[in-house]
Amino acid sequence: MQPATVYTRDRCITGIHGMDEILRGGIPYGSTVLAAGTCGSGKTTLGMEFLVRGALAGEACAHFTATEPSVKLLENIRQYAFFDMNMIDSGLINVFDMDVLYSWLGLDKASFDLDDVHALIKAIVDIVNTIGVTRLVIDSVTTLCYKIKSEQLIRDFLFTLGKKLATLGCTTILISEITSATENAHWSSFGVEEAIADGIIVMGDVERMGHLLRFLQVVKMRGTSHSRAKHAIELTPLGVMLTPMLKWGAVSDKTNRWGS
Amino acid sequence: MSKQIKFSPDDEEFFGSVGSFGVPKFDNAMNGGVPRGFLVVGFTETGSGLELFAKQLTSPAEEPDNTILISTNESQLEIARVFNKYKWPTDIAVRTLGEEYNAKVLEKELLASRYRLEGFKLPDIQRLAQTRFVDDDTQDFLTEMTNEIMAMGPYFRAVIDSLDFFMQREDQSRVVAMLRMMQAHTQIHRGILFVTVSKDTITPAIKQEMAAIADMVCDFKVRTIGSDFETSMTVSKFRNAPENLSIMVFRVTPEEGITPETVERIA
Repeated sequence: MQPATVYTRDRCITGIHGMDEILRGGIPYGSTVLAAGTCGSGKTTLGMEFLVRGALAGEACAHFTATEPSVKLLENIRQYAFFDMNMIDSGLINVFDMDVLYSWLGLDKASFDLDDVHALIKAIVDIVNTIGVTRLVIDSVTTLCYKIKSEQLIRDFLFTLGKKLATLGCTTILISEITSATENAHWSSFGVEEAIADGIIVMGDVERMGHLLRFLQVVKMRGTSHSRAKHAIELTPLGVMLTPMLKWGAVSDKTNRWGS
Repeated sequence: MSKQIKFSPDDEEFFGSVGSFGVPKFDNAMNGGVPRGFLVVGFTETGSGLELFAKQLTSPAEEPDNTILISTNESQLEIARVFNKYKWPTDIAVRTLGEEYNAKVLEKELLASRYRLEGFKLPDIQRLAQTRFVDDDTQDFLTEMTNEIMAMGPYFRAVIDSLDFFMQREDQSRVVAMLRMMQAHTQIHRGILFVTVSKDTITPAIKQEMAAIADMVCDFKVRTIGSDFETSMTVSKFRNAPENLSIMVFRVTPEEGITPETVERIA
């Protein structure tokens, strides 16, 4: 009897040290992944490196920044050796300021209605489609969703955007700001992002011997098996480095505490 | 303590205590003209001739560079055509806020509609990716206009035609607050400020407040008599000169612009 052929989805190799091993080869192409993290957990750096690795492989990438001006973002990211300003100048990585996009679309108002949400989706999809973007980061989807007042509209926005981007073969990281990354925490601010995303990566801090260590954990990733272990994040000049965490390490993790 | 301005006797003699309306018959009816330092508010109905009256009020232009016409509805070209027709001085300052609004606000809105409807083209996306800051050209036309009036020197002459533009876009009480500031400036600098506003755009309370601030209130009306129109102006308030309260029926002549035909005293 012939063994059944195992179908594996094509992967978007993140190029981030340790990440592709966790994901058994990378993020399935066209996935929408929620990278939810507390402040200072390395979300923006992770997102930017994801794009840089793509750009180095010749992919067109786009970054929508809503939390900080692009000028500031680029200044901060320049300290990393993996980043090269030529990627921006040559158009391999296209950085868009959300407030500029809002202004161009006449969306410079406090809250968005259905028409506004559709206009925003159309604009993002237009950009992805026109320049053939295969890697996209929205930093952060939380800031963007604050302008969408109804939970139903947020759901529609994320679902429609994710579906359209997937159709275009664009792998997307939606950065989400959360206040806690503990076991009982939500992985998103509005509660709907985590249900719609194909994957959830949680980033936060654990205390170990008086030090705050950054960690990353893949909670969910449709279309691939993956490790669910916590990994320590090191933000090095060369980029993000992920290494498995020892189980005894986290003081806040009472079940795994040494000697308990 | 209120601001004190020193006026030279020569200037006082040159400008006098009143300024002309730009129509001798009006000046006669008002016992000489508009007292300096007056804020004149003209409440109007459509077709009552107030636009022409407003322009005519700038025509004496004792100092052209200290005279301004701020129009919110007409273009520079239209205004120039009227001034040329009546041979009024064209060297006064003219600001057309309606045109500025169209250029700065409506064009932006039109472009946003295009982007929303047709989407972004490649050059648009390239430009968007290179644009790092929002063009913060959102203008507060009301503040800007108030500042412009407040910057005018002694014996200025200014006409704002009309406040409807602001009443429809801003909080009406804010417009009245700005008017108060302009009134104070006019009084201190012995200027003449004439503002127009449609009766239908303001609430009775705002109308009441504006009338209270004003030194002179004119009501412009139009009515049909048979197949003809009759335009009239009622001077319903004239600070410290109730003898000037009157109803004037006027007509428009190619030579003189607006000219009173009959004057009926109220007080």
